[in-house]
Amino acid sequence: MAIATPPTPAAEARVERLEVMWQSRPGVLGWLMTTDHKRIGLLYFWTTLVLFGAGGIEAMLMRTQLIKPNNDLVSPETYDQLFTLHGLTMIFFFIIPMTTGAFGNYLIPLMIGARDMAFPRMNALSYWIFLASAIFLYTSLALGMAPNAGWFDYVPLANKTFTPGHNIDFYALAVIFNSIASTLTAGQFIVTILKSRAPGMSFNRMPLFCFAFLAASFGLLFALPPLSADNIFLFLDRNVGTHFFDPSHGGAALLWQHLFWIFGHPEVYILIVPAFGIATSIIPAFTQRKLVAFPLVAIAELLVVFIGFGVWAHHMFATGMSTTALIFFAGATSMVVIPSTIQVFAWCMSFVLGVARFKTPLLFIAGFIFMFVTGGLTGIMFVAIPFDQQVTDTYFIIAHFHYIIFGAAVFPIFGGMYYWFPKVTGKLYFERPGQISFWLIFAGTNLLFFPMHLVGLLGMPRRVYTYPGNLGWTTYNVIETIGGYLTLVGILVLFGNLVWSYLRAPAAGPDPWHGPTLEWVTSSPPPEYDFAVIPKVSSAYPNWDVEDREEDRRKLASGVLLLDQGHEQVEVTPVDGWLSRTVEMPHESPWPVLLALCLSLVFVMLLLQHFAIAGLMGILSLLTLLGWHSKEPQEA
Amino acid sequence: MSGYIASSVERPSKPAAWWGMVILISSEATLFGAFIGTYFYLRFRAPTWPPDGIPEPRVVVPLILVGVLLLSSIPMQLASNAARAGRLAATRLFVVAALVLQAGYFAYEVHDFSDQLKTFDISRDAYSSIYYVLLGADHAHVALGILFNLWLLAKLVRGLTTYRVHATQAIAWYWHAVNLLTLVVILTLLSAAIG
Repeated sequence: MAIATPPTPAAEARVERLEVMWQSRPGVLGWLMTTDHKRIGLLYFWTTLVLFGAGGIEAMLMRTQLIKPNNDLVSPETYDQLFTLHGLTMIFFFIIPMTTGAFGNYLIPLMIGARDMAFPRMNALSYWIFLASAIFLYTSLALGMAPNAGWFDYVPLANKTFTPGHNIDFYALAVIFNSIASTLTAGQFIVTILKSRAPGMSFNRMPLFCFAFLAASFGLLFALPPLSADNIFLFLDRNVGTHFFDPSHGGAALLWQHLFWIFGHPEVYILIVPAFGIATSIIPAFTQRKLVAFPLVAIAELLVVFIGFGVWAHHMFATGMSTTALIFFAGATSMVVIPSTIQVFAWCMSFVLGVARFKTPLLFIAGFIFMFVTGGLTGIMFVAIPFDQQVTDTYFIIAHFHYIIFGAAVFPIFGGMYYWFPKVTGKLYFERPGQISFWLIFAGTNLLFFPMHLVGLLGMPRRVYTYPGNLGWTTYNVIETIGGYLTLVGILVLFGNLVWSYLRAPAAGPDPWHGPTLEWVTSSPPPEYDFAVIPKVSSAYPNWDVEDREEDRRKLASGVLLLDQGHEQVEVTPVDGWLSRTVEMPHESPWPVLLALCLSLVFVMLLLQHFAIAGLMGILSLLTLLGWHSKEPQEA
Repeated sequence: MSGYIASSVERPSKPAAWWGMVILISSEATLFGAFIGTYFYLRFRAPTWPPDGIPEPRVVVPLILVGVLLLSSIPMQLASNAARAGRLAATRLFVVAALVLQAGYFAYEVHDFSDQLKTFDISRDAYSSIYYVLLGADHAHVALGILFNLWLLAKLVRGLTTYRVHATQAIAWYWHAVNLLTLVVILTLLSAAIG
């Protein structure tokens, strides 16, 4: 739909009316008060990129420290903080907010033909809370009190006796604070995907990207509360004197691990399922064919997360649980293979049956499949309980989950950055440096992570700040560090290319890839109202349905499904996608950022153990909510 | 909404606000699931439950109180129905009736909570820790519901709008969920009196 050149004067007038109605305030205030999903997506993008940089610097410091035996670049205490922050940052402050916050926010409304999320102000709130929690966590580093008990923070090491400083209090509160943001995002996506799709987009016509984000959102919704409960207990144990994790008073140290991994394993799928969604968007565009086994892949995406809730104790095979429990969890874990393999075969067959154009995004997806299969193969090995007990807490584990988390989650993120770069910026990217960046990152990560398998089998434990020179580990560590720097160079080439492309590359037009989904229907970058006409949908590949797009143009001329009477959006029936009603959407609001501010004060006061003042700030937050709801959407 | 398609049939469905409340309830119920799971995890590892020196929880009074709270679901649902039918006076009346039951329950429970804290402290052992956290979290949800209802009454002073009808529906659902949660929490805590 060429919005730049509307077909008739009547249509032109309608588009102008939409422009006025959806316009945002100029300047900084416009960004602070924004409820536009695209702006919020971009805010998430830039923030998580900064945090990715922080997590990356932490990783490079660790790799540099380990380049030779008995190195003393960083002290053991600093090293503890580095690996803890690296894990926390990359998981909670990079991958989750990058996939859900940035990609999901920007793309889901565009893919389902909506003008915004179902709850736009709540969407803004989730960003501001996320930002505040990130600042909260990194304040600890500035104060020299960063969390230092590993990202999974086991008690008793994490209790007051063994870690008396504020380090772990920062951990517990930052994780709870961050969980609020993720829960809001998850709920937001579920309701948006169920209720805000373009009429005609029944469940079986929904892009696989949306199935993946639906699965990840359900995962977040049900996985985060156990984590919050766990951290509430930890905070109370440390600051109020309860005994949840204290065996001398009837508590149980293993309770921490159970609750943590009930969150922690679904978490792994929460990290990679959105990446599957990105892969299933890129593959059809660059093979120019429908994805093989669409319904099976959709079910597999949901099933991976569902099974993910029943396998948590495979992280605890070395804790002395009963044999029955071990065998149950080993069995459950091996089931994950089924939905994962269905997807891998579907992707590979799409490559084979279509005409693959190996441009940079597809290269990253091919790399992702390679890394995912490699990491999956070492994953299956852990089902063999004795083997798992042998390699627990060695570099073999590190190798496995970096193949999964870097290989299977971050590769598609990079691929997605290239794929949607023309949509977000309106510019193409330069292909040659793009391909170079892929090969550098691919070679770098394999050099970085593959030798970790070997050095892990040789017995090198994780989380050691240095090692003696006579154990045969040195060569492997040197290769790993070289791989680390190579990866860094690749990432710098990637971002350098994107910046350079933004400045110099030719314009992309609305649809440079002949992509299958609705985001390619609208202009690049999309207008504030996303679509001038709510698009007609009659298949899962709407941008390839030429007649429907013709129909959109006719509707624009005749004023059907235009919603130009107010700041409006459609609601549909959740499964069949029948039109149900139009609703008035809230516009810019100062309350989300104010509420996030009040909540930050609650968390700061809890940290300082001023519980009464924290309560007062809680009341202040409630008052903010009162202000938030003082104006009804119809009155706005 | 005028000028909007006449050609297409609009089918009724639950509003996004209702789905939002379902999401909130799912998240809170999962949190309580983790708390209750913790309760039984700790219980099955303990030689005696409650530990020696802590009195068994009373059974009759809490059950009667929960009954009172559960009754408040009826006026809440009636308020929701009245709001949908556009009956303003009835809506207000039913919300006030529910509020009386809820506030009565809450006042007694807060009083009882502070009494119990005098007999055994939260930092005594694992039993007291999970006992007070579980009960306190439940009371906090009741308190939040009371605030919801007060806010709703204040909104209803100036009549009914679509927004307020949806709010009444969503808050009624919140109360059904909290009442059910309270029943489960109280039964969990009372289980210490059995065996």
